[in-house]
Amino acid sequence: MNLDWLDAFLLFGTFQVVMVIGLALLLHLQLGLARIANFGVVGFWAIGAYAFGVLFTKVDWSIGEPWPFLISMLFGTVVAGLAGLLVGWLIADLEIEGVLVGTLGFATVVAILVTTERGLTGGALGMGGLSFPFDIGKTKANELLWFGILFVVVGAIFYYVWRVHRSPYGRLLIAVGDNEPLARSLGKPTFQTKLWLFAIGSAGMGLLGAINGVMVHLLIPEGIGINVTLAAIVGLVLGGTARVWGAVLGVILTVGFFDIVVQSYLPLPRSWYTQAIPVLREMVFGAALIIVLLVRPFGILGDMRRDKLIRSTHRD
Amino acid sequence: MSDSIGPAILTVEGIRSGYHGVTVIKGLSFEVGAEVFAVLGANGAGKTTLLATLARLIPLTDGGIRFRGEDVSTLQPYETADRGIGYVPQEHGAFPDLTVFENLSVGGMIGDRPREERMDEVLDLFPDLKALAQQMAGTLSGGESRMLACGRALMQDPMLLLLDEPTAGLSPLYVDMFFEKISEIHETKGVGIILAEQNATKALEVADRVMVLSLGEAFLVEGADELTTEQLKEGYRI
Repeated sequence: MNLDWLDAFLLFGTFQVVMVIGLALLLHLQLGLARIANFGVVGFWAIGAYAFGVLFTKVDWSIGEPWPFLISMLFGTVVAGLAGLLVGWLIADLEIEGVLVGTLGFATVVAILVTTERGLTGGALGMGGLSFPFDIGKTKANELLWFGILFVVVGAIFYYVWRVHRSPYGRLLIAVGDNEPLARSLGKPTFQTKLWLFAIGSAGMGLLGAINGVMVHLLIPEGIGINVTLAAIVGLVLGGTARVWGAVLGVILTVGFFDIVVQSYLPLPRSWYTQAIPVLREMVFGAALIIVLLVRPFGILGDMRRDKLIRSTHRD
Repeated sequence: MSDSIGPAILTVEGIRSGYHGVTVIKGLSFEVGAEVFAVLGANGAGKTTLLATLARLIPLTDGGIRFRGEDVSTLQPYETADRGIGYVPQEHGAFPDLTVFENLSVGGMIGDRPREERMDEVLDLFPDLKALAQQMAGTLSGGESRMLACGRALMQDPMLLLLDEPTAGLSPLYVDMFFEKISEIHETKGVGIILAEQNATKALEVADRVMVLSLGEAFLVEGADELTTEQLKEGYRI
C-alpha cells in the first residue's frame, strides 16, 4: 500500500486529537455529569501505559502473539481502574477543592514513581520495546492501522458515553453532581456510584495510555506531564462540559488546531517545534479558554443538554 | 404525650443530633403512625435538623430511630429511602440540570410498582407539572419547584413522607393549594406525613397531631384539635 500521500505529522497529530477526545469524553462523565473535578487524568493514563509496558516487556512470555500483547493491554486497563478505585475511594466525599488537589497530587506521585522506580520503568531513560502487535509492512502502514484501532476504541467510548447520557444511570450522575445530599435520599448509594464511575473512567484512560504507548514506542517521564490533563480539560470546558459533543468539538478546536493545523501546515521554523510550540500551545489554550468562558460560560455548545435527548427520554 | 394514631410506623427514642459538635436536637422521643404529624416551632427550634436527622442525612449522637419495627439509626440515607422514607427538603428539593420528567424519573428509581403508573399518579396530583415536563427544573418558579420536589419524593412510593416547610416563601395561592395536596396525599395514599411548618394555623388545619419544638426539645405533643393558642405561644416563646 502506497502511503506517500499521508504526512507523518498529520497522522500523529490526528492520533493525538482522537486520543485526547477519548480522554475528554471519559472526563465528561466525571466532570460534566457528576461534577468530579479529576485533574489527575494523566496519572491514570500513565499507569495504564506503564503497567502495559512493564508486563509486556519484562515478562518472559511462553505464549505466542497476540496473547502477551492483549493480556498486557488488559492488565494496563485493570491496573488503571484499580488505581481509580483507590483514588476514588479517597476523594469521593471531598469538596471540589479537595478532589482537585487530591487528583493532581496523585498524578504527581505517578510521575515521581515512574522516574524513581528505574528497575521497572526505566526511569528518566524511558521504557522501550513497545511495538505494534502486527506488522503489515512499512511503519506508516502499521501506524495507520493502529490509528484505526484507536479510532474504534474512542468510537466505543463515545457510544458508551452517549448511552449513559440517555440512561437512568446518567440521570443519577447528573443528580449526584447537582445536589449530592438530596441524591442520597433517592434510594441509590451515591458514594458507590461515584466510585464506580471513577474506576471505569480511570480504566478507560489507562487503556488509552497503553494504546498511546504503543504508538510512541517509548515511555518517558516527560511524556506524562500536566499538558495531557490540560488538553482534555481545556477541550472539554471549551466545547461544553455538559454535552457529549462538547468534548469532541472542544478538542478538535484546541488540540486539533495546534497538533494538526499549526504543526503540519504553518510554515514555522523547525527549531520552534521543540521549544516555542509547546509553550505557545499552552498559552493559546489558556487564552482560548478565558475568552470562551467570558463569552459563553458553559462552553461553546452551552449547558443545556440536548433538545433531542429530552425528547428521546420522554419516549423511554 | 398523645399516642400515634394507629400503629406507629416511626418510633423515635431519645435522639440527639446536630452539626459540628453543636447539639440541636436534644433528646426527642415520639411516635408517628399513618397520620399527618405537624412539627411546629419558631426559627431555630430544630425542625429542619429533626427532619434531616430522620432522613439520616445528619448522624445521631445518641438515641435510636425505628421504622416499621426496624432499627434504622445506622442506615445510610439511600437505605432509609429504600425502606420507605421520602424526604422533601425546604430548599433545593429538585435537581436543576434535569427536566421535570427526569426529576420524577430519578425519584422512581426505587419501588416495585411500574414507574409509568407512579408518574401518572403524581401528574394527576400535580397537573401543573404535566405542562412543564420537558422544562429544566432550574428554570421553575418556587412553587413549581416545591411541587416537583414533593412529586419526586412520592415517586419513591414512601410509607412516610418528611416535608420540611413546603410552603415557606410561597404566595398565598400556592400555600392553600399545597395544604390541600398534603391532605389529599395522606387520604388517598395512606402515607404518614411529618410536616415541619412555621405556619401553625394552616398546619393545624391538616394535622392529626402536633409536636411543638422549642430549642431542640419537645415542648408538647398533642392532638391538633386540643392545642390551645396559649400553649402554642409558650412553645414559640412569644
